[in-house]
Amino acid sequence: MLAYIVRRLWQIIPTLLGVILLIFFLFNVVGGDPAYLLAGKISNPEQIANIRKQLGIDEPYYVQLWIFVKQVLTFDFGSSWSTNEAVSSIFATRLPASLMIGIPLLILETVIAVVIALGVAYLRGSFTDRAAMVTCTVAQSVSILVYIIIFQYVLAYKFGWFPVQGWGNSFFENLFKFAALPVLIALVVSLAPNIRLYRTFLLDETNQDYVRTARAKGLSENRVMFVHVLRNASIPIITNLMIQLPGLLVGLFLIERFFSVPGIGREVILAVERSDFPVIKAITVYVALATMLANLAADLLYKAVDPRVELK
Amino acid sequence: MKTWPTWQSGAVAVAACAMTLLVGGCGDQSPKSAKQDASGAVVSTATSPVQSADGKKVVRTVFVVGESGFDPPTAHDLYSSIVVDGIFDTLLTYDYLAEPAKLATKIVTEMPVAEENGTLYTVKLKKGVYFSPHEVFGGKKRELVAQDVVYSWMRHYDDSLKPVWRFLIDGKIVGMNAWYDAGKKAGKLDWDAKIPGFEIVDSHTLKIKLTKPDFNFGYVMAHPAMAIVAREVIEKYPNDAQSHPVGSSAYYLKEWTRGQRMVLEKNPNWRGGTWDFKPSGKDPHDEIIVKQMQGKPLAQIDRVEIYVIEEEQTRWLSFKDKQIDVMNIPGGVTPQALPGGKLAPDLVAEGIRLQKMVDPEYTYMYFQWNDPTWGGTEPHKIALRRAVAMAINRNEEIEVIRKGQAIRADFLVPQGVVGHKSDFVSSIQYNPPLANALLDKFGYKKGADGYRMTPDGKPLTFKYTSQSTALEREFDELYRKNVEAIGIRYEAEKEKFADSLKREKRCQIQTRGAAWIADYPDGDNFTQLLYSKNIGESNNGCYKSAAYDKLYEQSALLPDGPERDKLYMEMQKQFEADTPWVMGITRLRNQVIRPWVIGYKKHPVLLAEWMYYDVNMSKGK
Repeated sequence: MLAYIVRRLWQIIPTLLGVILLIFFLFNVVGGDPAYLLAGKISNPEQIANIRKQLGIDEPYYVQLWIFVKQVLTFDFGSSWSTNEAVSSIFATRLPASLMIGIPLLILETVIAVVIALGVAYLRGSFTDRAAMVTCTVAQSVSILVYIIIFQYVLAYKFGWFPVQGWGNSFFENLFKFAALPVLIALVVSLAPNIRLYRTFLLDETNQDYVRTARAKGLSENRVMFVHVLRNASIPIITNLMIQLPGLLVGLFLIERFFSVPGIGREVILAVERSDFPVIKAITVYVALATMLANLAADLLYKAVDPRVELK
Repeated sequence: MKTWPTWQSGAVAVAACAMTLLVGGCGDQSPKSAKQDASGAVVSTATSPVQSADGKKVVRTVFVVGESGFDPPTAHDLYSSIVVDGIFDTLLTYDYLAEPAKLATKIVTEMPVAEENGTLYTVKLKKGVYFSPHEVFGGKKRELVAQDVVYSWMRHYDDSLKPVWRFLIDGKIVGMNAWYDAGKKAGKLDWDAKIPGFEIVDSHTLKIKLTKPDFNFGYVMAHPAMAIVAREVIEKYPNDAQSHPVGSSAYYLKEWTRGQRMVLEKNPNWRGGTWDFKPSGKDPHDEIIVKQMQGKPLAQIDRVEIYVIEEEQTRWLSFKDKQIDVMNIPGGVTPQALPGGKLAPDLVAEGIRLQKMVDPEYTYMYFQWNDPTWGGTEPHKIALRRAVAMAINRNEEIEVIRKGQAIRADFLVPQGVVGHKSDFVSSIQYNPPLANALLDKFGYKKGADGYRMTPDGKPLTFKYTSQSTALEREFDELYRKNVEAIGIRYEAEKEKFADSLKREKRCQIQTRGAAWIADYPDGDNFTQLLYSKNIGESNNGCYKSAAYDKLYEQSALLPDGPERDKLYMEMQKQFEADTPWVMGITRLRNQVIRPWVIGYKKHPVLLAEWMYYDVNMSKGK
């Protein structure tokens, strides 16, 4: 097991190098010259050259690339070109807000989607199952923007059940007051595809011989579904869950923007608009790392859930 | 202020609504309390949103884009500059009510007069102007003195800051550029050097000597970028002064959640002052403002809360939900908020006031002067540019794209800016038939595909460069329709804004739309846009005309007056004869103001007005 983990961690290095090269290439080829954005309304070539020097983008490409590699190795990405705020500070101050929406969302959507999927899988072919699937298909077809605009207008403004926007300083105020509507919207958006997906995973299992055997043994339907079927369907569910984990970092940018949540997703949009390379570099590397680590965690969880899985 | 239910009750409410929808739909169950008085007027019964828990007067406003930082020489975006203006002092400011904008004293005892033919200004600082408290001052009150002005202005030459406002003083102050060049050569600027252009007579008197006459230098003294900092604070935070603004104006930065919320509170060392302005005579509401504010101490508001809300819907709903007291109506909601150009009845019923104003700016579309097909002074090229200028339908832009919230701009100096000529009628009017006739006359014949060619038979394309935004796509549609109506092929070139700026400075863009908002409300700030020595800087179409240059150079040496106005008129004629731009529009700003905000007037140039208005706490109750 340990050898497997070490080997997988070791494989992160070439992947990360690929990511570094890709970001570096994209920024330098299609990223636009940030010096012109930072120079203000009236600037001359001398001032532009000075800004390029300050940013280090007048250096040869190999020097810039080496600096980037050193930044990844030390996790020190310097400061934002636009605001001068340390990139580490950007993460430290914006990530909690994103996680405050992302973590409750992940927990709620997993629990609710699994429970509903179990129910409709059990009732396969019934009116309830068909109605649920039609509802999910329709719900899935609607853009998240529509949900945001309607829910914000109706639930927050017209009914006054939630704040229209905002974020405070208290953990509980943020969690229960400001994050509630963003979580609800994200939940509504994510439930439909997850229910459909998990239903498929569960249906694959309900047709297996071991299920028939369990029922023949006289086990209760609850035990058949929640213990036998769910356990065997958990590997693809875990895979799906782990794929969603890196999305906690930047996946909620639209919701953050509409509800003025000072999260990392909103910061990434700003960084792209401003050609703020240090922030873009850091977030891309962190998302890549999070994806690789989540994949590793998924593999380890497979082993924990199903002892038959062999890690090679 | 409305109190919000907890998440649980919110969730219960969602469930209740779902149930209600099943049996007939959710009605308006808003807890926002409002009732009608005997006269039928709506009276808000909400608790006061303008009083903080500790009894302070609060005003809540909004930024549509996040701020970047608050160091005067580096604040490169409007929103950062607004906060800079609220925290730091400049030597001069603007009269709160005067129209057009007029300079006024801020921390000087009297208006500096241009001496020695506009090359010398004597600045006499008020005594008792103190920076807000900071640990570097060792617990003592730190007074603003003449040396602070010199130091603050010298910082515009500190390349390590990436300063963006150097152009305001570059080459203007005697010895400043020589000091910078010497510092660059030595690898370090000498902050204690004596610059000949600054003569510190005593701690509160400073003489500023200019390299050439400049009767508009007062505008530089009023610009927020020229605000005055304390050297001790800057040296305490050598790489991050923009996160630690310490100024001497009415407010200081109390809380800052970057990109989300800024809270300013009254500077404990605030020097005070009395509200004393006269009505402009152009806006009837000025009389009411004067009645409300005359004689009051300045800075009535104790706390300013600024929220960054990027999305239009969120911003508008926040205002309607009484979370914001003053804001500009977002463009997308203008048809609902201003049906027929008037404030919607539901907003009027709430006592909301509308202030319409013209921004001191305009948009324009430039042609590349170096382009072999579109630029230059040959008659057929002038005819081509003029034909396009006559084909662009600005009225349609105003109605469709700007939703009626703009006016045509024809004169080189826009409305609200000193030097503007309000009765000017342009020789270039929307007239596609005439434009077609002009092109026919100068040999731009149509080919087999129905599009015109150049007189020497080459393909002719109007290539318009812009970004891939929804707004720009609307412009593409309009311009395509307009130029195709005169037989010219349209091509939309899309690229990143940074790339456009880069190519623009190298005179490589054929046609692009641009906008210029006044740095200071004087015609010079606009007429310089066509001066050939500003190619690569602000002359983005790279227009070059010896006649225009000569007129501009003469005008730049003159104060405002009939002599300069005459030159501006000559420049306008030269401009129209050459047609290097298609003039665009000036946008209107629609401010909505909650009834408890009194004495408020959006100033066209002044960025932070908080110290000039008040909130009536009893009205919010």
